[in-house]
Amino acid sequence: MLRLPFSRGLPCVRVVWSAAVRGTASNPAPEKIEVFVDDKSVLVDPGTTVLQAAAMVGVEIPRFCYHERLSVAGNCRMCLVEVEKSPKPVAACAMPVMKGWRIKTNSEMTRRAREGVMEFLLVNHPLDCPICDQGGECDLQDQSMAFGSDRSRFTDIHHSGKRAVEDKDIGPLVKTIMTRCIHCTRCIRFASEVAGVDDLGTTGRGSDMQVGTYIEKMFLSELSGNIIDLCPVGALTSKPYSFTARPWETRKTESIDVLDAVGSNIIVSTRTGEVLRILPRLNEDINEEWLADKARFAYDGLKRQRLMTPMMRNKDGELVVVDWEDALIATASALSHAQPDEIAGIAGGLVDAEALVALKDLLNRLGSENLVTETIFPMEGSGTDFRTNYLANSTIAGIEEADLVLLVGTNPRFEAPLYNSRIRKSYLHNEQNVALLGPKINLTYDYEHLGDSASDLKKLVDGSHPFSAKLKAAKRPLIVLGSQQLARSDGAAILSHVQQLAKKLSSSAEPDWKILNVLHSNASQVAALDLGYKAGTAEIRQKPLKVVYLLGADEGTISPNDLASGGVVIYQGHHGDVGASMADIVLPGAAYTEKQGTYVNTEGRAQQTLVAVTPPGLAREDWKIIRALSELAGYKLPYDTLFEIRDRLDDIAPHLTRHGEVEEASFLDQSVELSKNIASSFDSSPIDVKQKHLEDFFMTDAISRASPTMAKCVQAVLKQKQSKYYEGEV
Amino acid sequence: MALDLFRPLKNLYKIVKQNGGVTGSLYKLFRQDELKWGELVGEDKFGNKYYKNDYYFYGRNRWVEYNDKVWLDYDGSQVCPEWYGWLHYKTDYLPHEDPGRPVYPWMQAHTQNLSGTRQQYIPYTTTKPKIEAWVPPSKK
Amino acid sequence: MQSSLRKVFRTFVCPTRGFKSSPASCHDSLFVHRDSKEDNLDVNFEFTPENRKRADAIISIYPEGHQRAAVIPLLDLAQRQYGWLPISAMHHVADLLNMPKMRVYEVATFYTMFIRKPIGKFHVQVCTTTPCWLRGSDEIVDCIRKKIGADVGGTSKDGLFTLSEVECLGACVNAPMVQINDDYYEDLTVQDTEEILDDLKNGKKPRAGPRSGRYAAEPAGGLTSLTGEPTGPGFKVRPDL
Repeated sequence: MLRLPFSRGLPCVRVVWSAAVRGTASNPAPEKIEVFVDDKSVLVDPGTTVLQAAAMVGVEIPRFCYHERLSVAGNCRMCLVEVEKSPKPVAACAMPVMKGWRIKTNSEMTRRAREGVMEFLLVNHPLDCPICDQGGECDLQDQSMAFGSDRSRFTDIHHSGKRAVEDKDIGPLVKTIMTRCIHCTRCIRFASEVAGVDDLGTTGRGSDMQVGTYIEKMFLSELSGNIIDLCPVGALTSKPYSFTARPWETRKTESIDVLDAVGSNIIVSTRTGEVLRILPRLNEDINEEWLADKARFAYDGLKRQRLMTPMMRNKDGELVVVDWEDALIATASALSHAQPDEIAGIAGGLVDAEALVALKDLLNRLGSENLVTETIFPMEGSGTDFRTNYLANSTIAGIEEADLVLLVGTNPRFEAPLYNSRIRKSYLHNEQNVALLGPKINLTYDYEHLGDSASDLKKLVDGSHPFSAKLKAAKRPLIVLGSQQLARSDGAAILSHVQQLAKKLSSSAEPDWKILNVLHSNASQVAALDLGYKAGTAEIRQKPLKVVYLLGADEGTISPNDLASGGVVIYQGHHGDVGASMADIVLPGAAYTEKQGTYVNTEGRAQQTLVAVTPPGLAREDWKIIRALSELAGYKLPYDTLFEIRDRLDDIAPHLTRHGEVEEASFLDQSVELSKNIASSFDSSPIDVKQKHLEDFFMTDAISRASPTMAKCVQAVLKQKQSKYYEGEV
Repeated sequence: MALDLFRPLKNLYKIVKQNGGVTGSLYKLFRQDELKWGELVGEDKFGNKYYKNDYYFYGRNRWVEYNDKVWLDYDGSQVCPEWYGWLHYKTDYLPHEDPGRPVYPWMQAHTQNLSGTRQQYIPYTTTKPKIEAWVPPSKK
Repeated sequence: MQSSLRKVFRTFVCPTRGFKSSPASCHDSLFVHRDSKEDNLDVNFEFTPENRKRADAIISIYPEGHQRAAVIPLLDLAQRQYGWLPISAMHHVADLLNMPKMRVYEVATFYTMFIRKPIGKFHVQVCTTTPCWLRGSDEIVDCIRKKIGADVGGTSKDGLFTLSEVECLGACVNAPMVQINDDYYEDLTVQDTEEILDDLKNGKKPRAGPRSGRYAAEPAGGLTSLTGEPTGPGFKVRPDL
């Protein structure tokens, strides 16, 4: 396996990690050594590379193959620098510093070495920058401007042989122009270390070396888009974005991804009111610098199936376009003609906290308490009263500190790919062990399979399971409970058992170590529960409902048949999906790239999206629609600006306005006490997860269901599965 | 020449006479905001009448009275191209006198400017919309 | 001559500007896999029982956790068994060592001695590097080419011989030489070469080694130094010591 040699091959990385992550290093910190970078003195840990030491004093050494999050390859030679008294230049990325070294990053030798390396790289690199998608954000362009020679010795005007390499077909997301490849092997290292899919490699050698898959094979990974960012040249570019725009033409807006519950930080590139692409934004606590394929490529779903005008059902039962005025008046009259208890609000998975609080305030003012989310969470015991019950309390970055991870009924690889990549990272570098209770799936790392029935969970709690000893021995155990399991009929029992297990383990774990984690599957659930929404529609379906207000609820958890006769379904959202199809009144809202909204991710971190483009057509920001509606319904909500509604959020839950910070929760003991009374009978059905295979990953919500790229991905994966070279990996 | 003190009155008489008496003159004054007398030099196929009177100074000595049928909806573009040149002093030839005016079979009939009417030309986009709206599924 | 004619033709006959294309510079082997009749996943490859035993012995040499280092000897074993390395053999080795298939492809394509396309029974590798070339390797190549009826890189019609030109095989003292499968045939003349190929064709196994009557790499005209008996201890040492 990769695990052992990889961590051994990286002594410096391990030192850095263990120092940074573990914090409580048992052995004393090694003595620092002094080196000089361009005559500036710097004290570094032993094992630090020249490149890292230079970075500490703010000297950036050019590089192609080196990447902080990947193992060191040292094959591009761009980082050559002179070290005093060394006869030849050293590769800064791979060479650990020695005491008293004087590193010269600006000397004649260094300059000539860089020029030489650049010349060799360019000998076989095509000069097709004008038609290359990487142009403008290309490391090779930038570095040849900065460090290359100012004139060319390339006199081969007869073209007797620049290298030409066949392009590879590795799927509908990544376009390859392999002639441009400079063999930095970043993509290969990413695939094998981070993505855990050993499909890329180098074949041949010398000038015939090429990067590829050797056989024709799609790159079957949920993180494949990241190799586009990693590629320093234009060899790997984005297929959906190809020939679309130059980086300097686009406007970049920092935002948050909402297609899973991780809340990855993203940059939305727009031009002329159109989202052109989505790139990851560095956030060490959440997504590092990676992004899942769904978050990166589902943006074309924002341009299809959009609700752009208000609609109402006419007497023939057809939805027809109407004015805002008509739609709002009709909605307001439906709301005010129903009895308070006959009104219900159902929030979907892509809704921001502002809209949630506006709808809650409106319905509360009308006298209704029927506010629920689509995704189920058991309300027995302490239910959602304690935040600790429904958060990933250990935080996403905290996974790296854990020594044992127990996954209960979840497939983080597809439910939250970046959560999974953290586990894989810790598995590789921090000797973390993983166990899984649920169906056997490919998680990209080895795990101990503990069975797939709920009774195994019971055994773990009472200590009769063979794995219990290991759990007990763990100092920093971590239990990740998939939110899907809570939708089972015995969801409450599962939650209560997991809580009890967490409580039990906390006695043998380190003090203040948080064990219980719930991994949600959508971006709005935590904010909705924070704001006091109840979870699940089962309870309100029993009531004689007259008016149902669907706020982006597209999972079909309620149908018009659940309403009393003459009932009205109001759908407010941004995509024509399940919810809009069954609605009587459709109010067009804004998608996450079109509004400034607060989202809380699964670890309880509030973050906000920013407006990258305006909502299309007559669509408006969601909370403003509800605010306008409230006035017509006769219960005017007391906020007119974003600041005022944020003040209101602040009144209910202050952490919702503290963007970027995790609000911790710690009432595990109390919730365990309260959950003891829950009937603990389990279903006989095995614990199952919805997303088992890669094709299940791509289309999970209204946006990605509308995305042609995601549909292509599903088709490509299914086609790859027909291939003889497919080996049942995902 | 002695100053003809009665000339304005004579002109008024001519104008009123030519324009069809008092009622006719008031009608024309309402429609055209001006009354003139002059020689009818021709009429185009749309029924617009062209007058000339060099008594008025240059710039006002050629004018058009639009077809009565259009009532108040007259417009400069209703002048057909044959008369346009004469009316705007591009030429002094009347259309039927003009030797150099070619007539080809492919020449289209003149239409007035249709902007603001139902027949107006509306350019349409040939590119796909950036954002496609959802079309609700029809029950039929 | 031809090129100047072409230039004249271009200048006078078709003076329009055409676009230039560069000549393709291709390696003689391909570094991507293409399914072919001989080489596809349906080709069954499995180690024979005795080779399986050998493979297990090879794997057992390597320490725990580093078994994948056995990939080169195992690929070699597979090539010896099958004659060349079909993709299914690479897959078999990967499965045996429990390593990603791509990592096996990398190794198999890196080393030129792993042959990934069908090859004759005898792989005739003629050294054409300077010492052998000076000693007449060109004639040897021509001779083999005529004899087997195939060009360099080709295989004879009967499927017995594949001819390749290789760089120095480290037997310069016995130049010119060819390597046929595992054996070196050295100090060759054209007659020797024909004889060797005939023998191989007739199922005989010619004796490997120099053909000039030398035993190994000793001087061809007999020893010129170190001809006497070795002197004993105390040779030329001062008598008083």
